[in-house]
Amino acid sequence: MRLRIAYTKVEDAKYIAHLDLTRVFERAIRRAGITMSYTEGFNQRPKISFGFALAVGTEGEREYVDIDIQREMDLGEALARIQEQLPPGIRLLQGRVLTQGAKPLMAVLNAASYRMRVLMALPILPERLQEGIGAWLAREHVTLSRFTKRGPTEKDIRPWVKRLEGEIHGDEIIFELEVEMGNAGSVRPEEVLVSLRELENLPLDLEALHIKRTGVHVSYQGENTSPLEHDGFVQLAEQS
Amino acid sequence: MTKYTAAEIRRQVERFLPKVLKPSRYLGTEWNAIQKDWHKTDVHMAFAFPDVYEVGMSHLGTRILYHLVNSYPEFLCERVFTPWVDMEATMREKNIPLYALESFQPLQAFDVVGFTLQYEMSYTNILNMLDLAGIPLRTEERGAEDPWIIAGGPCAFNPEPLVGFIDFFLLGESEEQLPEVLGLIAEQKKNPLPRQDFLRRVAQVQGVYVPDFYHVNYKPDGRIEKIEAESGVPVVVEKAIVQDLDQAFFPTNPVVPYLEIVHDRMMLEVMRGCSRGCRFCQAGMIYRPVRERSLETLLKQTEELVRSTGYDEIALTSLSSGDYSCIQPVIEKILEKHGDEGVGISLPSLRVDSFDVELAESVQKTRKSGLTFAPEAGTQRLRDVINKGVTEENLLNAAEAAFKKGWSTIKLYFMVGLPTETQEDIDGIIDLAKKVANLGTKLGRRNITITISTSIFVPKAHTPFQWEPQEAKASVELKQRYLKENLRDRRFKYNYHDVKTSYLEAVFAKGDRRLAPLLEWAFKHGARFDGWSDQFCEEVWINAFKELGIDPHFYANRAMDYDDILPWDHLESGVAKQFLVEEHHRALQEAKTIDCRHNVCTGCGICPGRGVQIELKG
Ligand code: SF4
Repeated sequence: MRLRIAYTKVEDAKYIAHLDLTRVFERAIRRAGITMSYTEGFNQRPKISFGFALAVGTEGEREYVDIDIQREMDLGEALARIQEQLPPGIRLLQGRVLTQGAKPLMAVLNAASYRMRVLMALPILPERLQEGIGAWLAREHVTLSRFTKRGPTEKDIRPWVKRLEGEIHGDEIIFELEVEMGNAGSVRPEEVLVSLRELENLPLDLEALHIKRTGVHVSYQGENTSPLEHDGFVQLAEQS
Repeated sequence: MTKYTAAEIRRQVERFLPKVLKPSRYLGTEWNAIQKDWHKTDVHMAFAFPDVYEVGMSHLGTRILYHLVNSYPEFLCERVFTPWVDMEATMREKNIPLYALESFQPLQAFDVVGFTLQYEMSYTNILNMLDLAGIPLRTEERGAEDPWIIAGGPCAFNPEPLVGFIDFFLLGESEEQLPEVLGLIAEQKKNPLPRQDFLRRVAQVQGVYVPDFYHVNYKPDGRIEKIEAESGVPVVVEKAIVQDLDQAFFPTNPVVPYLEIVHDRMMLEVMRGCSRGCRFCQAGMIYRPVRERSLETLLKQTEELVRSTGYDEIALTSLSSGDYSCIQPVIEKILEKHGDEGVGISLPSLRVDSFDVELAESVQKTRKSGLTFAPEAGTQRLRDVINKGVTEENLLNAAEAAFKKGWSTIKLYFMVGLPTETQEDIDGIIDLAKKVANLGTKLGRRNITITISTSIFVPKAHTPFQWEPQEAKASVELKQRYLKENLRDRRFKYNYHDVKTSYLEAVFAKGDRRLAPLLEWAFKHGARFDGWSDQFCEEVWINAFKELGIDPHFYANRAMDYDDILPWDHLESGVAKQFLVEEHHRALQEAKTIDCRHNVCTGCGICPGRGVQIELKG
């Protein structure tokens, strides 16, 4: 039985590295007394797969995981038993049983949205902020140099950004960002802010940046849907 | 350093945590981590492992003691590890004191900070951790506000280089001793005695060594003239022993880390001690006698471990698990019960002569990881000197069985620089490696890899080789080069230990308290993580010896006499010095000594009068 589960990765759980997350779920499921399905071959791995990696330190309000378990069981019960064994900060929100042949998460997810809280290094007027964001969005290309293992490379981050909004709250700005994601890569939210600061001269204090991924989506013709609603499903259970 | 509260530290650390490597190292929120109420507990202990998280969390003793102390409602125990260099730099820059993982309380706020001494090369990390915590390094600079700084573990059997930094040491097994010490600290908090009076009191606990009360005089040539104990403390401090291992505390709800640690699995301690009597091995001497856990206890513990951790692998640990008398049934029963849940077994300390390829086959799900053999020396003569009861025939039989069962990777461990070693013994290593490789080829295995690893002999306190010098650096290097040139075949992979660090290890292993200023100097000039080849800086140490006028050869390369007073003569592992002398004699005569686990006692002296004996369960 294949499950798709929506969960949070917040508070201290945000420091769990993406690479370690498989083990966290695997051990929780084993503690819950549920038998997972394994890959065939020499090095058997449990069949657990995630969507796009979340950077260490970034909270995720609604992430997804697919898990294969060996025996049929009640979805609500499975979620409840696994939840009991998960560390604080990882809360199961919703789950569905996938039908045979449903596409994996990585094949359907293609967009993500972020909320970022940034302190202003100097006071910024609301008009100035909107002007800056507008000017940034109006650019056709935004080139950023990055240092990779193979030396400095340049990349255009503008095409990945679908939406960028900002609003001042006290001494900080709250940005809402929506980006495209794909196998070809994407843009990191802090890269958008760095270029906004550099190109549009907005005095942002990027030292104490607070980023949250509010969701990952299946985006089709301008419409965002959740991967839970996307394929053929047979069952839906809510976690309270 | 500014005084920070736990909440302030947490807030500050959270600001930069995403930017350091592996931030999960610095949070105590793992599964099964114990969050106790600071205000509802009498004694607060920080258990400090002077290395990174991944190394410290892999250490069984650390896990046992963490859960043991927390099993007492009146005590609280939290963990702290050495921050990796990036974290240290940030903490220093932002002036954040070292804190314990669970509560983020600064170390300074604890009543006790207990270091575990697993290897000499971690000593500078201890000083670094105290310094990062804002705790004065020297005992005499510390006041009533500062925590007691204590230390235990194998290196506590010669802790002299740390005298001056540590208030007192715990020798031997701490399961009963540590709670007793913490009980005294609880009383001390209620009705404080002057420092010296408290120390005198704690010195009465079995295995507690308070160096302040022992005075060392030296001869003009630098050797020890005498070690004198003050009245009211034991003249010789003898280790604590757990009498009934089967009933001893063992945590079955261990912390399960988020990041991958070195030994990322459940650990089941099947027995303690080893009676084979390899003459270079300190663990084989100081953890005597052999005591086994019963099959029932182990199966019950396994059941609980699987339920509470969710791990898919269980290691049967001890110094030599193949010797455990119920090894076969315990493996069968565990696989029978938990095999379906995908739980596998690993045997980290298999030895050639107790090695049974069938056994290895039943535990290893895949054959990729290879099998490890430790003949330790290249010729039968030298193996007799070190009392390693393995013959070439044993090894080749085991290798043959392994190749036939499908293994193609075999690892061979040797030591170079052993007492009486000659060129013939070095050639013996090459010879043995070739024989194993040729055997594999003859049996038709393709892609054979024979990994030959050589470590460097480091003479250790409380072993029959404690009087021996370490071989000079230059000649060890020649031997390593020779091996490298002669193990060129595609089928071989040759690894060897760094001469510089092994040399320093020997200095501290055989060192005395005159080395404490050296440690401090080296630490203040940047030495830390000396056991990590990418962090070790030889220059600092060369300068330290020069600056302080200390001759490292005096410690590492000097043969000691039987009537020399050794820096650790006032500390006792229970194995009689006379036995060690006899064993040393026998080594030089190339005479073997039998394993005492089966009926014949060889008279090491640990069992009589201590209420302990060899305890086998099979
Ligand atoms: S006293 Fe005898 S039986 Fe006991 S550990 Fe020593 S040699 Fe073995």
